[in-house]
Amino acid sequence: MGGRPLMELNANAFGRNSRKALLDKTLQEALGRTTGRFQAHRDAAVAAFPEFEATRERASRIKRDVLDHLDTYLARFIEEAEKRGAVVHVARGPGQAREIAARIARDEGVTLAVKSKSMASEEISFNEALQGAGVTVVESDLGEFIIQLAGEAPSHIIAPAVHKTREQISRLFERHLGEPRTDSIPELVAMARRHLRAKFLSAGMGVSGGNFLVADTGSVVIVTNEGNGRMGTVLPRVHLAVVGIEKVIPRLADLPTFLRLLPRSASGQTISSYVSIVTGARRAGDPEGPERTHILLLDCGRSAILEGKYREILKCVRCAACLNACPVYQSVGGHAYGWVYSGPIGAVLTPLLVGLPEAAALPDASTLCGACADVCPVKIPLPDFLLELRSDAREQGLKAPGEIAAMKGYAGVMKRAGLLEAIERIAGVLGQFFTKGKGIAGLPYPFSGWTERRDFPVPAARPFRKRWKIQRGVTR
Amino acid sequence: MPYTTGMDPKEPIPVSLFFTCLADAFSPGVCTATVEVLERFGAAVSVPLSQTCCGQPAFNSGNRKEARAMARKFLLSFPDDGYIVTPSGSCAAMVKHGYPVLFRDEPRTLTRARAVGERIFELSQFLVDVLGVTDPKSDFSGKVTYHDSCHLRRGLGVVSAPRKLLRAIPGVEFVEMEESDRCCGFGGVFSLKYPRISCKMTERKVERILATGASYVTSGDLGCLLSIGGLISRVGYPVKAIHLAEILVGKTGGLSSFAADAASVEPRPPGTVRWAGGR
Repeated sequence: MGGRPLMELNANAFGRNSRKALLDKTLQEALGRTTGRFQAHRDAAVAAFPEFEATRERASRIKRDVLDHLDTYLARFIEEAEKRGAVVHVARGPGQAREIAARIARDEGVTLAVKSKSMASEEISFNEALQGAGVTVVESDLGEFIIQLAGEAPSHIIAPAVHKTREQISRLFERHLGEPRTDSIPELVAMARRHLRAKFLSAGMGVSGGNFLVADTGSVVIVTNEGNGRMGTVLPRVHLAVVGIEKVIPRLADLPTFLRLLPRSASGQTISSYVSIVTGARRAGDPEGPERTHILLLDCGRSAILEGKYREILKCVRCAACLNACPVYQSVGGHAYGWVYSGPIGAVLTPLLVGLPEAAALPDASTLCGACADVCPVKIPLPDFLLELRSDAREQGLKAPGEIAAMKGYAGVMKRAGLLEAIERIAGVLGQFFTKGKGIAGLPYPFSGWTERRDFPVPAARPFRKRWKIQRGVTR
Repeated sequence: MPYTTGMDPKEPIPVSLFFTCLADAFSPGVCTATVEVLERFGAAVSVPLSQTCCGQPAFNSGNRKEARAMARKFLLSFPDDGYIVTPSGSCAAMVKHGYPVLFRDEPRTLTRARAVGERIFELSQFLVDVLGVTDPKSDFSGKVTYHDSCHLRRGLGVVSAPRKLLRAIPGVEFVEMEESDRCCGFGGVFSLKYPRISCKMTERKVERILATGASYVTSGDLGCLLSIGGLISRVGYPVKAIHLAEILVGKTGGLSSFAADAASVEPRPPGTVRWAGGR
């Protein structure tokens, strides 16, 4: 089982990455099939749930309250979880998180760990940290299992192998697991299940993420469809949950609000196949459960976000509805975004977590169409944040000098209607002369990209302002 | 809505035209059509000639200093009262929602920006919601499909107005396309920064347009139409991009921006404006 290379940060290569993705025929097919299906299911589920808007509003309010009092709720969560036998660790940054995870594995004498889906663990390159400590980590979510074999990173928050076709998966299973080729999905699933079952039974530690941390009970809530999350948190001797600090919700009574929204927004299900509420370690008399439960809470940039104007991004429940709704994501897939999170949430969250200089290309990767904000179940103003980050990029000196010069020139012209009119007149004459009024087929940079496959409009011989003056005989 | 009450319908309604820099330069027929339609329904249209660009390209690309300069100019160009109507959902949304962001630290300008934002309307929104137009009195004929511009639909919440108007034209056979509310890929500066993604999105949009069998695709935003029309023009698809204002006024032929007769649309001298409907 090949270890995945460290999650490389490659966000500023979005332009190059996306061009490659557009030419990848297999990827394009897979994207067309899956994102459309997710979106259609989500829309149908929301349409069949009249309380969606009200629930969304309530969820947004609860999350806002959490962010306003995050320290209080976190303290309560830690207290309640420890009261119930869990060991809670807090990591300020990814390095510390890796150290803590490796120490837990070492102290618990673990050599094999099974892991269910966790995006937070990707942020800290969890698998590499454990492998460095001599622990083999096996991904047990089917999608994650597949991309672990392929040595790739997830390309979608809830469907990490969305970019893989069944043919590619069968080839991977043939090469790494010695399975015969098949194009039957149930057979592929059965193969993965067989391989994973053995791992579940021998693993010393189960690693999970967490969709919610319940402050008043100290519980970690895990929402999955495959059962691997539950098996991984019950069977092995040790359970380690890796969760971002922003996932806390005040009360267990708040959970239904989120459970109504998350599966519907993510996959169009009214409820996911499994919802596990893991509360502390195994108690005397419990028929099953791990002997030891560790909860690793990740700050990793979150408390810095909390202090600033992007605070509401921490409301995110990682449903991926914004990915599925985003026409840019649908066109290029998740890997183009060059880090853990992709789509609109990635375009905002990545720069905030890794620093804008490392990911300034991402906020530009949107037409600002607003489809993401339409579907977000916790009402994060994603387009506003994209705009804000673009402005930050300018202020932090991260924009190309050419763009700034062009904008200065543009604004300079627009300051004077007379100057604009003169330029329009010249453009009009040139345009008509060179094109005879047909669309322009070729222009130099920065318009060359446009004219690659589209005609550019011809400047009018007589712009409207001029027409109006002639027509109405006015000058002012 | 501040200006709908107590007004004698026979009194001309003062409207300032915000013609948009894009239409001014690339498709002046859209502006002319907007004026004609507004006058048809009793508006007294004035055109502030010092207006240029609302600043959206600069704002959307994060260049707020330049955007502010343009926005300030915009705010000075328009009179203190009366409606402002524009044939662009995107430009109206910029003034309405973008300016308050630009001037959030300048209380006085912010007040002015908010007041102007209250008075600004996209054409179809103004016709239906303010003037109560149910029949645009257009003699346009043809099979038409409609693309929801993102900023008109999501920015201003205008969904039904353009459809109502199109359906009310006797000669128009209106047909909805699949994914009418999906972005066409234009995205302003986006189309220059990531042209291939932009084009990929436009291609999907044009596929949906072609699937309707319509002869015309229309929209409330010229930007979308330039991207869609540019692809149609390049490939030579059997459909024309045409602005909603041009359909409402009863003009056929499609956007002049890609047509051989761009220069032949001559302005008429004062007093000879054609009234397709009558006031």
